Amino acid sequence: MGVAMRLFLLLSMLIGLLTGCAPQASAAVIHLNDRQPLPEQPATDVVPLRVAVGAVTSPQGTVDSYAPLLDYLERKLDRPVELVQRRTYAEVDDLIATGFVDVGFVCTSAYVAGQRDFNMQLLVAPEVDGETVYYSVLIVPATSEARNMADLRGKVFAFTDPMSNTGHNYPKYLVKQLDETVDSFFARTFFIYSHDDAIRAVASGLADGAAVDSLVYDYAIEREPELARRTKIIHRSAPFGIPPVVAGPQARPQIVAEVRDLLIGMATDPDGQQVLNGLNIDRFITVEDRIYDSVRQLEVQVATSTAK
Amino acid sequence: MFDKFWSIAGAVSVRTKILGIVLGLVLLLGIGVTVQVRATLTYVMTENLREQSISIARDVAARSADPILINDLFTLQQLLRDTQANNPDVRYAFVLDDQRHVLASTFEDGFPLELSDANRVTPEEHHRLAALTTDEGTVWDTAVSIFEGRAGTARVGLSEARAQAALNAVTTQLLLTTVGVSAIGILAAALLTVVLTRPILTLVRATQAVGKGDFSQRTPRWADDEIGELSDAFNAMTVGLGRAEKERAEREQLRTYYLSQVISAQEEERKRLSRELHDETGQALASLMVGLRNVEEAPTDEDLRRRLNDLRQITSHTLENVRELSIELRPSVLDDHGLVVALTRYTQDYSARHQVPVDFQTVGLNGERLAPPIETALYRIVQEALTNAAKYAQAQHLSVLLEKRSEQISAIVEDDGRGFDAETVLSPVAQNQRLGLYGMRERAALLGGTVTIESRPGGGTSVFVRIPVTSDSDER
Repeated sequence: MGVAMRLFLLLSMLIGLLTGCAPQASAAVIHLNDRQPLPEQPATDVVPLRVAVGAVTSPQGTVDSYAPLLDYLERKLDRPVELVQRRTYAEVDDLIATGFVDVGFVCTSAYVAGQRDFNMQLLVAPEVDGETVYYSVLIVPATSEARNMADLRGKVFAFTDPMSNTGHNYPKYLVKQLDETVDSFFARTFFIYSHDDAIRAVASGLADGAAVDSLVYDYAIEREPELARRTKIIHRSAPFGIPPVVAGPQARPQIVAEVRDLLIGMATDPDGQQVLNGLNIDRFITVEDRIYDSVRQLEVQVATSTAK
Repeated sequence: MFDKFWSIAGAVSVRTKILGIVLGLVLLLGIGVTVQVRATLTYVMTENLREQSISIARDVAARSADPILINDLFTLQQLLRDTQANNPDVRYAFVLDDQRHVLASTFEDGFPLELSDANRVTPEEHHRLAALTTDEGTVWDTAVSIFEGRAGTARVGLSEARAQAALNAVTTQLLLTTVGVSAIGILAAALLTVVLTRPILTLVRATQAVGKGDFSQRTPRWADDEIGELSDAFNAMTVGLGRAEKERAEREQLRTYYLSQVISAQEEERKRLSRELHDETGQALASLMVGLRNVEEAPTDEDLRRRLNDLRQITSHTLENVRELSIELRPSVLDDHGLVVALTRYTQDYSARHQVPVDFQTVGLNGERLAPPIETALYRIVQEALTNAAKYAQAQHLSVLLEKRSEQISAIVEDDGRGFDAETVLSPVAQNQRLGLYGMRERAALLGGTVTIESRPGGGTSVFVRIPVTSDSDER
């Protein structure tokens, strides 16, 4: 009896060892095959103010840099503010056109297109170093021997967004000045969709050159000094009108006015001033639509060259 | 415990023991190796799954940030599906937004709702690994914050199913190998058993035959090992037993023959005594009777005296005859005066009768008496030896030496006669014809002694008799 009992115990221990694995976290069993439709997300009572930011910088970079501004708006308006991002300028323009977002921080050319296509409203524009202009800067790796666009013949070139003024239209314009087309001039081109990633692509040698927003470049090398060491500017364009803050055509005038006043008032509010400093902006001011005419002219010039 | 084990293990045949040992060892080794390999593999595979779960979840989280921020759910789902397709151990992957709503997942028809909250990670944590118990077994679930939690959480679950299957395959393979080796072990053990037990069984049969008296049994030597040595020893033993048995049978035959000879000798002796008494003593007494009647009728005193004188002479002669007869039957001097005196007288008579000088000497006796059986035996053996010498030796001179030492008494009878070839004459085969010799040996053997005869043709004969003298026999 005793022997049989001991034998049985030994055997069961052995089987336990063989089948292995004692349960580790023996919480409730989760039924992976008991699948149900996901619950509907309850509609929130408060409608948030949706703010779109054009894909000038990378999505995560945008979150980082715009978070203080959006938090400021949230506090001042006393209603939730939601940041909306899309990969391309065109998608952001669509969101503004349909009224899905209330306010947009867009690129100059996106405003020009939106204003032309669906009467996008110009709210305010940032003033940087006392000016409302920015430039397209042509950058190459720090080790590159290229001194101008002509030296980049047969190289790899990174564009930002197809709709971008500084990142696409302007370099195309420079190539056109050399009586070449982009396709024949460069060995290969590709779109990166954000300016900070374009700078990183040049810094890492992925691209031999890129044209980027001067404001983004300054902001980026301030945050990441490494990028300044590994890239250099070989050309700076004539000034263009600075990227503005806009609203959709159907935006409620009350909200538009409220946001505009709030942004303009930031310069006189200590909290607002701090947020502006973080963005390298002096203040927001109202601007005339004509400061963007040079962009429109550039578009026409590039368009005619491609038509030829 | 051990006794109980031995009562079972000891009772089975050698075949079963060998089989048990071989099978036991193979099974022990097989199961030991299997358990060890399983334990090690389980540990290694689990470690692997844990590490993989963490690294894949970290990768998914890093690559999810941008698609989430730009609301590119298609790319997000594609990312999750690619992750699952490229990592077969990935049971599921999904992404929760910062409100813990499922943004995208690899589950196609619905979602197991209890899963979303089964593992939570805070933005400060690098990752959080949890072993989830699911209806498909243990799943190593890792949660990683996306973009410091601002874009949500990535969750990846790695199933143990494949690792478990591999583990089971290895275990099955090992167990099959064990079974295979066991089968080979059984064959080997069977072969070993045949090799080992066949000579033993042969020996057992041969031993049983020897037990029944068949000493012709010989066992073949199967191998040059211990059992081979046993076979050799057994064969040597049966040869020895056979020889001993033959000798015993011969001795027995001789004893029977001797007994019959003794009986017939006794009858002969009685016949001779009867004739002697009738022919000699009877006749003498009858002459006396006639003489006595004649005395009555004697005419003169002169005649009477002469007749009485004749009668006295007849009586004296008869008396002499009766005395000789008595001495021949058993010398009373042996009983009255001991061995030394008896032998002295006998050798003198012998010397006179056969006209041969006999030199009789004693050493260490100093007139002491021995036990009657020893004295009788020695007297008869010496008598027989001298009688033989008279019959065959044609000796010129004889000597008898009686010597007593502390523990033994010995007698040596030597002659310078023609001798004989001791080896053939004294061989067991010839013993039937040598009843006298046999009688000498038997007498000595009864008292624990020995008789040795040395002789060679032309070199005389020596008879050595040795009989141990114990203190018991001294007292008597």
